[in-house]
Amino acid sequence: MKLVVNTEVCSGHGRCYSLVPEIFEPDDNGYCDPNIADVPPELEARAMIGVNNCPEDAISVAKDGD
Amino acid sequence: MSGLESEVAAVALPREELLASLYEMAKPQPRYRELLADHGLVQTEAVAFSFDRENTQFVLRNHDLFSSRVEMHLGNVRPLIPLNVDPPGHSKYRKLLDPMFAPRRMEAQEGDLTKRANKLIDAFIDRGECNFTEDFAELFPSMVFLGLLGLPEDELPMFLRMRNGILHPEKIDPNAYGDFDVIAQVRKAMGQEIYEYFGDLVDRRRLEPGDDIITRFLDADVDGDKLSKEDILDIMFLFVIAGLDTVSDSLTCFFAYLATHPNHRRQIAQDPAIIPSAVEELLRWETPVPSGVPRVATRDVTLPKGQKIAAGCPVSVSYGAADVEQEAFGDPFEVRFDREDNPHIAFGAGVHRCLGSHLARRELRITLREWHRRIPDYGLKPGHEELEYPPGLRHVKDLMLSW
Ligand code: HEM
Ligand code: SF4
Repeated sequence: MKLVVNTEVCSGHGRCYSLVPEIFEPDDNGYCDPNIADVPPELEARAMIGVNNCPEDAISVAKDGD
Repeated sequence: MSGLESEVAAVALPREELLASLYEMAKPQPRYRELLADHGLVQTEAVAFSFDRENTQFVLRNHDLFSSRVEMHLGNVRPLIPLNVDPPGHSKYRKLLDPMFAPRRMEAQEGDLTKRANKLIDAFIDRGECNFTEDFAELFPSMVFLGLLGLPEDELPMFLRMRNGILHPEKIDPNAYGDFDVIAQVRKAMGQEIYEYFGDLVDRRRLEPGDDIITRFLDADVDGDKLSKEDILDIMFLFVIAGLDTVSDSLTCFFAYLATHPNHRRQIAQDPAIIPSAVEELLRWETPVPSGVPRVATRDVTLPKGQKIAAGCPVSVSYGAADVEQEAFGDPFEVRFDREDNPHIAFGAGVHRCLGSHLARRELRITLREWHRRIPDYGLKPGHEELEYPPGLRHVKDLMLSW
């Protein structure tokens, strides 16, 4: 699974990288680093926790072909 | 869409009553439910109140359509930075400030905060009771700021004075209670004191740099942008307003909730690992800063739910209502420390998302952890079961606890 962070709307709440540090990482300003490695199947459920806790809906799952 | 009509339908309550109910702080959640269900937007001649989460997110995200450049009447003579600045200027300030308040940086405060929290608890633990509001909640955030500023503890009374002068003028001059002229006078005088106090501090740090945030403000440089002395004063003025009471208020709301919900209290006492998620859930449920700085429409705008806002109209968004919205939370009226999805906006949303949120979270977590480690079993002091939530930010006056 591939995740895309919309850096235009990420406002640095930090919910993603606090809850799921194995997938999301903060940059030096506390915003979500958009360079996220592809998520292996066994971590997909964890990734969705990050997606669903973002107050800005800034993280989405890339559709096939993106 | 059939819901559209009801959202713009006339308000059922008389307007005065409805407006008064917005400031009823004791139990706002059921009121939010009503306001969410009946009308996403309540318009008076002067202001529009948004309760709908989608509309609210739209207002916060579209800062070009909704400006934060509003007069705050808090004793400040210039706009507060970065609260009353719109992008692109806003982004410049946040680039300078964000790294200083990023989670990694705040992690370094862990030891200092823990020590300060315990010192406060030391003072009353053997008494078996305390006025939590006055003995802990009001002191802790100011002590934390003394640490960040590299100031000694005997500056504490000055911090409490500044905070009271702007946010609780009646504590400085009893005549200020309900009298707007006196309130304005107290704030104006205190505003001057704040500018002078931090002006002196900036001069001192310029001569003698230290390991503190004023020195970091003076050193900060992003692409050649630096903060001027006036900038630093306008930031510090905001910190006094935004960084002290908000945490005090959240603490009183949290402890009032836990003191009256023994099951939730026991979960924390027995399993400190749930504290981070308990903090998020209590932030969501209490949303101690219930609404945002009003945003002024820069032109005629139609909101996602169809209501029209005229250019020049201020819109006050309700973070509290957005945090009990059905669609976002599923069972918003349950308080669950094991809630898996919690995209609350107790720290606002969009570019003005609370700069101090990572510090605030740490203060709240450390307090819950240290308190429950030392005082796991407590409740409201007998005879003090009636909780008073005065108007303003959501907080409990004189929360009396015993153990
Ligand atoms: C639990 C405690 C806190 C809560 C609930 C809270 C809440 C908020 C909210 C809702 C906003 C957005 C205002 C708006 O745009 O309408 C905000 C902004 C802000 N807060 Fe906090 N806050 C807290 C603690 C702090 C602390 C400890 C600081 C200390 C530095 C702080 C500094 C700020 C600043 C500087 C802004 C303005 C950010 C901007 O305009 O870009 N806050 N806060
Ligand atoms: S939770 Fe959302 S807004 Fe917050 S840092 Fe992560 S992506 Fe950004």
